[in-house]
Formats: sequence, C-alpha cells, structure tokens
Amino acid sequence: MKTVLLVVAFVAGVMDVSSAQRSFEERREKILVVASSERDRGFATITAKLLTGQDLPFAFAMLDSLTYDQSIGGMFYAYTLIGCYLHGEHVLPDTLKRKMREAYRVRTMYRGDTENHWVMYYTGLYLAAQTWPNEDEARWFNGKSSEENFEEARGWLNHWFDISSTIGQGEFDSPTYITTFLTPMLVLYEFAKDPAMKTKAQLMLDLLFVDFAAEHLAGNYGGGHSRDYPEDIINPLAAPSTFWAWLYFGQPETPPWNETRYRPRHRSAWEPVFGAASSYRLPDIIYHIATNRSKPYVHTETKRVRNIIRFGKEKNPPVYKYSYVTKNYILGSLHGGILQPIQQHTWDVTYVSDKPNNTIFTLHPFSSGKELAMFFPEEQKFLSDEVDRYHNVYTNPNKWNSSSPYEQTLQHKNALIVLYDIEEGTTHSHVDGFFPKTLDERIVDASGWIFARSGNTFVGIFPLKKYEWKEEDVNWRLRSFERRNGFVVEVGSSDEDGSFENFRTTLMKRRPRARDKGKHWEVKYRTRGGHVLQLTFNGKRIIDGQQVDFKQYKFFNGPYVQSERGSGVITLTYGGKRRILDFKRGRITETP
Amino acid sequence: MTKKHHVHLSDLHFPIKVICLSAALILSVVVFTESAPVDGGRLARVEGKDASAFMKITEAQGETIYMSILSSRKHRLGALDNPTVGLFISTDGGATWHHRGWTGYIRTFYTEAGMDGTIWSACGNGVLRSTNKGSSWRITTGWEITEVLKVKVDPTQPAIVFGATAYGIVRSTDKGKTWQVKNNGLGSPFTSDVLIDAAQSARVFAATEEGIYVSTNRGDQWRLAGLKGRGIRVLAQDRLNPKLLYAGTEEDGVVISVDGGGRWKSSVSGLHHKTVYAIVPDPTDSRTIYIGTHGGGVYKSIDGGTTWHQSSKGLTNLDVHSLGVLPSNPSIVFAGTLNGGLFRSTDGGSTWQFNSQEEAQVWGISIR
Repeated sequence: MKTVLLVVAFVAGVMDVSSAQRSFEERREKILVVASSERDRGFATITAKLLTGQDLPFAFAMLDSLTYDQSIGGMFYAYTLIGCYLHGEHVLPDTLKRKMREAYRVRTMYRGDTENHWVMYYTGLYLAAQTWPNEDEARWFNGKSSEENFEEARGWLNHWFDISSTIGQGEFDSPTYITTFLTPMLVLYEFAKDPAMKTKAQLMLDLLFVDFAAEHLAGNYGGGHSRDYPEDIINPLAAPSTFWAWLYFGQPETPPWNETRYRPRHRSAWEPVFGAASSYRLPDIIYHIATNRSKPYVHTETKRVRNIIRFGKEKNPPVYKYSYVTKNYILGSLHGGILQPIQQHTWDVTYVSDKPNNTIFTLHPFSSGKELAMFFPEEQKFLSDEVDRYHNVYTNPNKWNSSSPYEQTLQHKNALIVLYDIEEGTTHSHVDGFFPKTLDERIVDASGWIFARSGNTFVGIFPLKKYEWKEEDVNWRLRSFERRNGFVVEVGSSDEDGSFENFRTTLMKRRPRARDKGKHWEVKYRTRGGHVLQLTFNGKRIIDGQQVDFKQYKFFNGPYVQSERGSGVITLTYGGKRRILDFKRGRITETP
Repeated sequence: MTKKHHVHLSDLHFPIKVICLSAALILSVVVFTESAPVDGGRLARVEGKDASAFMKITEAQGETIYMSILSSRKHRLGALDNPTVGLFISTDGGATWHHRGWTGYIRTFYTEAGMDGTIWSACGNGVLRSTNKGSSWRITTGWEITEVLKVKVDPTQPAIVFGATAYGIVRSTDKGKTWQVKNNGLGSPFTSDVLIDAAQSARVFAATEEGIYVSTNRGDQWRLAGLKGRGIRVLAQDRLNPKLLYAGTEEDGVVISVDGGGRWKSSVSGLHHKTVYAIVPDPTDSRTIYIGTHGGGVYKSIDGGTTWHQSSKGLTNLDVHSLGVLPSNPSIVFAGTLNGGLFRSTDGGSTWQFNSQEEAQVWGISIR
C-alpha cells in the first residue's frame, strides 16, 4: 500500500498529459513498480527502488557494492551513477552519497571511442560537475576542477547537438544503441540547471524520438540501421528499442517483460526506468507520427558515416536512407557501402507479426582489418582479432550484420534492388539471405521468384544468380557463392495486392534484366507498380529515366518530418499541427 | 656520450668492443636469474644477491622503463575480473614493475618522461601528465583531442610536447596547459608517431598514413620528406649519429635515411615485406638495430640495417609492437607484444624470456 501511494504521489507530481497519451502514465507507473521488484545490481532498477521506496535496504546494499567495485567504471557507469544519485538524492544516506561522489575521484572513467560512449561520458561528467561545483582538481579522476569538467562537457555536448541536428548522427537509428542516447538525454533534461542545456536536451529527445517514430511499426524499428546486434537483426522485437516503443508509443501492447521475443534482462534492459522517472513527455505530434499508419508513405533521411580517421577523403560522408512505411511492413535501405564498421544493417523488410523473426534481408558478410582501421586507430593487422573479442561474430562467415564495400541498393517505394560485386580475394565471397521459419508460406517458384508470406505481408525476391538453401534453427539461409550477384525485392500486402496469389501471379510475369559484362554489372527491372528501376554497380541509379541525385536528399523528407541538411531546424507536422525543433536558436515552437 | 661516466662502445676499437660486449653478455647472463612470474603473471623478479646488485646498478644510473599496456587478451567489457592495464614502471631493469595511474582501460598507447621528470601518457582519453612520478594525473587535453597514439617530449625543452593522434598532430609549448592542432601541410592527418630531432629540436618528423613528413619549425608547417602514399608506423633516431633515421612501414619493412631525413632508402633484405611496429637502435652501437614486426617477432641487424635476421627465439607471440634497449646494459632488450605480454632478452635478442603482463598488449616501451 505504501508503495502504491508513493508511486501515485510521484505520478501526480509531473506535468499534464494529453488524452492521446494518457496510457503513458499507466505504463510508466507499471515499469517503476515492476523494475523496483527486480533483484539485480543495476542503476536502473536501483533508481526504481529509490523512487518507489520499495526494497530500499537492498537498493542501498547494491549501490554500496557498485561504489566499492573498482572494476566497473567508464562511460557506462558515469551517467547511470549520477542519474541514480540525482533521482534518489532525497532518500540516499549521506554515507552512500559520499561514496558515490568519491567514485568520480577514484575510478577509471574511460571516455570511449564511439558516439554513444561520448554522450554517456560527457552527460555524466556535466551533471557530476554541476552537482559538485567548486571542487579542485584533486577531487576529480581526471585532475581537472569542477569548472573545467563542466565546461569541457558542456562544450562537447553542444558540439554533438550541433552535428546531430545538421548532418545527423553517426550511430543513427540503432535499435540497440538508442538506449545509450535516450537515457543520458532523459537524465540531462531532468537535472540540467542551465535552462539552455535543458532545452537542448529536450530538443535532442524530440529528435531521437521522432527519428525513431517515422520508421516505427508496432514496436519494430524499421529500415536500415547503423549498428545492431545479430540477434536483434533477425528478431527485431528483441531489440532494446522495443522497450522504448512500448513505453512512449504504446506499441507493442504487451509489456516487454511479459513478451517472450523481448529479453528484458539483456543489455541495458531496464534503462527505460529513467524515462519513467523523467518529467519529459513525448509531444503528441511524435506519438501520432509513431502510431498512425493509415496511409503508406516514403520517408528519407541523410545521416553521416562515423568519423573516418584514415583511408578516406572525407571525415563524415553522408549516408542516404530510404524507407517505405505501411501499416503492414516497412521496406527500408541504406544506400550501401561501408557506412559503419562491424554492425551495419543495410536493408530489410520488417513486417507486423505476432511471431518472432519477422524480417527478411540479404547481406555480404564482409570483414577486414583495413575496414576497421578506417575508424579505429589501432593497427589494421590486429583489429579484426581484437574486434572479434567484443563482437564475437565479426569475422564469422555466417554473421547477420555487416558493412560491405561490395553492396549497393536502389529503392523506390515497395521495390528494391540490391547488387553485390565482391572483389576476388575477399575473405568471404558469398552473400546470404535470411528467411524466417515463422513465415506462413515460403514458395520457391519455377519463375525464379522466391515468395514469402506472413499474415497480410507478401514478399517477392528474385535472386539474380544461382543459390542454395540451408536450414538453420530459426531460419532458412539462402547462400550464393556468385561474387557478382544481387536480388530484386518487391513487397506487398493484402491492402495493395488483394491476395497473395494475385501478388505472386503479377510478379511471375516479371523478370529483371541483368547485364554482366566486363566491369559493368547492372540490373533493370519494371516493378509491378509500373516504375522502372535501374542500378549499375558503382554507377548510376535511375528511376523512371531520372537519375537519383543523392545531393538532393534532405536531412529529413517525408510527410511528417522535414529538414534541410545543415539547417539545424527540423519541422514536425501532423494533422495541421506543426512543431519546430530549432537547434540553432535553442527553442521549440508548436502551432497551433 | 650520453652519460658522463659512460664510454660508448662505438667509440672503441673493434677488438676491445668485442671483448666488452662479450663481458657484458656473460655478466648479464650471470646476473639475471629469471624466476617464474609472480602475482598472477603480472610481476617478474630477479632473485637473490645478484638481483639486488643489478637493481643497485640500474637505480644508481636512474634508468626508468615505462611500459604502456593498452589492454589484455583477458579483458572483457564490463567483466569484474579484468586485469590491471595502463602504465607500469620499472626502475630495476624490469625485475619488478609497479603500476601507476588508472587501473582500468583508457587505451594507454605510449608513455614517455621528459628531462624534468614529468611523465606523459598518450591515451584514448587524451594526453595525460604526471609531475609526481605517476602518483596523480591530469588529462591535459579537452574533448577536441582524442585517440593519442604517441606523445614525445622535446629533449632540450621539456615544456614542448607533441602528440601524434588519429586526427593529426598536436603540440603544447607550455607543458600541457594549452594545445594546438598542427596539421598544416600534412597530406593525411592520421599520425602514428612523431620524432623530435635530438640534434635540432625545431626539426620534427611525422609518421603519417601517407608518408613521412618533416617540419623545421616545430610543427607549424609540414612538408613531405619521403615515402609518399605509404603507411608509416614508427620513427626512430640513432643516439650516436642523429643523421641516422629509421622508419617502419606497413608491409614494406624498414626505410633508412643516413642524411638526417633528406633521402630514404628501403631496407628489406630478410624482412619479406614485414609490417614494422617498433624500431630501436642500440644506444651504444649504431650498427645494431632491433625492429618489432607483425607476425615475425623481433628482427636484428648488426650491419646498420643492410641485412636483417629474425631474432625471436623464445618469443611465444610474434606480434611485437614495442621495443626497448637498456642504455646501461644494451644486452638487455625488451619486446612488448600484442596479447603476449612483455619479453626480455639478456643476450641482445638471441633468446627471449617472458617477463611480465601475461596476455597483455604492450603497446609502448620507453626508457629514460
């Protein structure tokens, strides 16, 4: 009873919510109660206990052990520790507060080497320096004073806000790493005393959420991803982004901890607690963008490649992203090539299903020390082995995530061409396709098409070269050893095509025309919608006779999100309402 | 001569030199009685009276060895029992090692001390400085400077420090209070190493991903000095003859300049296009040079780099990323491997024994 009262009191303390999101308050209350009953040693569940007052002795004991255990440090510790401290300050014993403060003096706080690392590190450092001001350099792990740390963190955070709102994130649209951006920003929004910084955090939260919302479908994060883990790529609702979708978009309806496809105890599983604890509320407009799938739409984006430190002419070349979003599926793609090392996911169709493994895609399992050396400063002959220690599948020929210089795409609405032209001598020269066993139907047709159906979603894939099948635990693996290769993909649904039979019949009459001669590798295909797509590897991309000019791609371009590249201004529109995220001026305006 | 009480072997006539080297070799073999590693493989020690005698020698001469451990094959992200990494210091010729600074992973690539005793570490977190022998540290750089692979201190003006980073070259002229990016004229910013000319400290060389660059004004302006387009991993200079410069390349052995960096000549005889991560000339004999390679362990030349011979007997890991020769006793050579820890030779590289840091990535070794 005491717990319930505390939660109710906490809920009553936050700002008003719209009717559209009233259920959010129920979900946030639920997650706090459930997470506070967990008995693990994590800052998120401890924070839930501190907020609800449940199981406080255990929370204090766990916190004490976290401050004592010197083996835990770095950026993952930096922001969650201070988030927990600030949320629980009212109940924490002074002895524990002192120990938590001391952590910022004695611990190894590694800054890391990725965008998410730096966001976590500098958010933690900003709030810690704000919380303990006017302390000299001997009181901090890095030998800098409170003021120096505060200024450095502020400087980098503002730099990150600037590049993320003008040329995009390097670790963009990641179903896994979204947590490592959302949680720090939620904590920063909640506790930054500087109104300008608080507004920037709000702007960034809006941007992160609308970026997800525009490619969200029933809990799934659709489209291409900069980084994701193989187990989440082949089972999209297993990704941490699902938890955020459940909390903020109300989809899927089942709480993640009750959903077998989601693994609530894996990486950063309970961090949405920091969302439940925050006074940040998702703007209605983003909620609607995330959930209204009454009409199909095309949504394009420009992102950036992670910092290239060698073997490239540009530090952050653009990434061009295309997604076609319907109520049944999202077909999405990145334009191809090496856009992120290790964990890139270039294209897929992800569809609504009550079964796991609701996705189909192909890839070339590329690995190379030189590729890694583009992004990491260690020796190129050493990097593959080193990365394999952390991402166990990097050099594995059967891996399900990869960036390859030998992969390029062209997409127009619900049709896509993906071409491969794998250089001789490449470590793995085959391409793989993922077809889940949970499909309702999988038909290998004599016409050359492979047809797949799951519920109301229909997929047709035409392999351009010979291939073979291999049955695995949860999927059939399509494998082709042809180095010059490719697939034509069409996706449909009962809404678009009536029946699966109609879809198949229509496609059976269509056959891509491939031209494989000398250096020229090209395919031309007329879609069932009547559009002519032509993709030449390392050459032109042509749709209905018009060459695709990526330079014309906007930062965001779709019915709901608009932004010019470099402007720092993102406009959200829905149902006559408009919300403008103006990073340049540091303000948010909404009309009417 | 680098130390007033030393006579350099290169100053002696050949028969005398042979006698001296032989005597040193015998002495070193006698003095060094290796024991099994202790403390979970983290420390190795010399036992008995001989050990204390040797320690007194090296301590008297004030030689300090700085070993930078980037990581370890045992390291696991978020694991509770990760090995201690970072900076280890020995003042007894590698008999014992003592950790200084952070115990966790911050990517400590290289550490070097200036003539004023200030210690500098090149790390993922930036350039770290300690003015109290490693008891406390300050990250002297801000967020703009990261992935620092080498830090080099001006041999005559210890307030001047260079950093080689993944994003180019940085320089401080006020002992790390402020830093400036110094990339003017560089073809590729990625820089693996910088070398401050010991004879003329305004002259600085840079090992970039597209060749060797030189500056004659402490990095204000750079120009290509040689090996256009080739990845350079490391630079070194002979102590006795500063005009002798060495560069280690990616997959193309060693290049040597005998005229102070004007012209560079490949030296690949016996190297088979090896990638060279480390070069250390014998501080007492210009004709003896050691190199650390990827996959081939240590190679040694005794003819000034004309020919190279593999010198890896006893090395259980052949990816050698760092080397050090003890100036007071050049028979003592250290080889830091990637994932195999630190090895020491007491016979000028003929044989090697494991010394410290099991399965560690010994990215850097320096001796002052």
